Amino acid sequence: MKLSPSFNRSLWVFHVNSGSCNGCDIEIVAALCPRYDPERFGIKLVGSPRHADVLLVTGPVTHQMRDRVKRVYEQMAAPKVVMCVGTCGQSGGVFYDSYNLDGPIDQVIPVDVYVPGCAPRPEAIIYGVVQAIAKLERLEKEVSS
Amino acid sequence: MNGEVIEKVDFAPGRAHRGIEWMGMRRNPVQILHLCDRICGICGVHHALVFAQAVEQIADIEVPDRAYYVRTIIAEFERIQSHILWAGVAAHELGFDTLFYLAWQIREESVDVIEYITGNRVNYGIMMLGGTRRDITADMFPRLEQALQYYEGLLEKMVNLFLNDKTIAMRCKDTGILTKRRALELATVGPTSRASGLAMDVRIDSPYAAYGDLDFDIVLPDVYNSEGNGDVYDRIIVRIFEIKQSIDIIRQCMKQMPEGPVLAEEKYAKLLMNLKKASGEAFARVEAPRGEDMHYVRMNGKQEAPEMWKVKASTYSNQMAWVEILQGEQIADIPIIVASIDPCMSCTDRVAVVGQDGNAGIMTKEHLHRLSVEKTRRLQS
Amino acid sequence: MRATMTPQELADRFIRKFGSRVSNIQVKERREGVKKLPQKTVWMTVSREDLNDAVAELISIDYPHLGVIAASDNGDMIDLLYHLQVFFGGKHEEICVVFTVQVPKSDPHVPTISGLIPGAVYSEREKQDMIGVTVDGIPDSRRIFLPDDFPEEIYPWRKDEKGIPPSMVKELWKVDRPTDRPVPPVAEPEPVEKKEPEPAKEAPSGGAAE
Repeated sequence: MKLSPSFNRSLWVFHVNSGSCNGCDIEIVAALCPRYDPERFGIKLVGSPRHADVLLVTGPVTHQMRDRVKRVYEQMAAPKVVMCVGTCGQSGGVFYDSYNLDGPIDQVIPVDVYVPGCAPRPEAIIYGVVQAIAKLERLEKEVSS
Repeated sequence: MNGEVIEKVDFAPGRAHRGIEWMGMRRNPVQILHLCDRICGICGVHHALVFAQAVEQIADIEVPDRAYYVRTIIAEFERIQSHILWAGVAAHELGFDTLFYLAWQIREESVDVIEYITGNRVNYGIMMLGGTRRDITADMFPRLEQALQYYEGLLEKMVNLFLNDKTIAMRCKDTGILTKRRALELATVGPTSRASGLAMDVRIDSPYAAYGDLDFDIVLPDVYNSEGNGDVYDRIIVRIFEIKQSIDIIRQCMKQMPEGPVLAEEKYAKLLMNLKKASGEAFARVEAPRGEDMHYVRMNGKQEAPEMWKVKASTYSNQMAWVEILQGEQIADIPIIVASIDPCMSCTDRVAVVGQDGNAGIMTKEHLHRLSVEKTRRLQS
Repeated sequence: MRATMTPQELADRFIRKFGSRVSNIQVKERREGVKKLPQKTVWMTVSREDLNDAVAELISIDYPHLGVIAASDNGDMIDLLYHLQVFFGGKHEEICVVFTVQVPKSDPHVPTISGLIPGAVYSEREKQDMIGVTVDGIPDSRRIFLPDDFPEEIYPWRKDEKGIPPSMVKELWKVDRPTDRPVPPVAEPEPVEKKEPEPAKEAPSGGAAE
């Protein structure tokens, strides 16, 4: 994977779990491990949304987590990209009818990249991050122009 | 909180409440089986296994012997990958990120084997009412044997890295102590209770699947540390030696596996028709990587969906122990103590800290993690 | 070695102590694996007034491990099932004991057992939330799993009018594409050429006969 020359800084990722089974969360952390090693591209997981460029959200949004997800999104500085990992955040997956879930993630915050799968393979997640990088570059060009 | 020391602990679960039991009461048992896989991503196959066992009791389905062994092998591989995952997370909470990456790299081998057997890394979808959906044939054994030898070669290294390290011993010994009596009263399960000296293991007490035929002993912290007192160090000991126990169990299974089919009823339509007529109540328990996992199912013969389904995940029983073991500890120790019970990660969202005169402040996970790492660096220097 | 007993002896001890106040006693065994070692269970129904005494009797036999308290809606009654295990730790000696307590819906109260087994608090709180049984004497009575703004008097596990109404159920798969952003370009499907089906080749055995 070759990063384009205009993207000269590293990509920092913040992960939010809005009530998922943790399968996608483990695949996200596994995607950062030495086997796939995206850290050579500068992609790393940070602990605070204020430092992050990319927001990874997993899980169908439970009622208790809805405000938290919204707050995290608002705390991030533009330009930002939101990635929804896993099928439960996109259409509910197995949890298609429930009383405590507030809908797929794009009902709560706007989503840019969708990575389907239950759980998606780490390669799929990295491909999603590559798409997110491309979109971020486009957004940066728009902001600077 | 009194300066750095915690005085009162409160715990508010419920962030990941998806209404699974309620959803299950509207679906037929085969659909529930696939829902069970996604109750938890790390111990999903145990949930599916225990639900299958409960429904097999109600509907009187006879599981073929070979299926018991296939179930056992898959369950033990899941235990290995869960314990190594936990070891990495514990190292990360202490600040040893290299050890975290090393542990997860080692874990990839068992995840590869699981993918070889079942077809997926997470959410295997391999349990079925009456057996398993795929077989482990004899030509697959060499690959399993290769993985087992890989882990055996690494066990010495893991014991050395985790248990003989001076900083880890300093941080983990005498921290987060849970006495045997309190562990019993608070109904803790799994490695948390075994580390406190309670000899509680569903595989030995009420054997299910193939465990009744196998020969293994319970893992208590005195295999390594004769002065155990139920602290975080003992929990690390129990989990690492359970990996060794799992390797041994899988070897015994591969040697003793009987021939035969792996599924009692191949046609799903017939299976569902039989289930529709089944009625009764039953419960089943298994030893998931985190502890005892229990499902209670009640079916009346009038509808496909069960009348009642109760899931008791293992962390459900262990969460009350947090209130007990965090008393009197320092804030910087919160991440490792919280992680030592091995909760599913979505539970460790946020911790509310109550001040001495009642004013509450909320510390984020990142802040606590930073405090923990700083303490390790201070001890190392 | 501590003394253990067979499930039938345990059941007999309860019958001796409580007489007719325990009913519907069943001793079941479940055998799995090739060697068919048994998993032993004793089921019995006790009244809610005797619940604490029954648990105390079980503690005098061997301090039990509380699995969970399950609850089921049974028409006019609510069944509460207390799953306890004794004699763990030896080799295949464990006996699971289930106390079924029936509580009428008109008077849904049950005494707490957290005085005897402190670990029961979370399970009892969950029953208060989920099926509407009030546990008398519970030390901590807040909501546990449901959100704080969940409507009162709605209990998810009930099958009667107090269960979840269809208006509260959200179907996640019925959402449409978000409307606040441009639709991404969708590639036109390539036109598929209609090809004549090739004439069937002659079967090899037929050809070899030539």
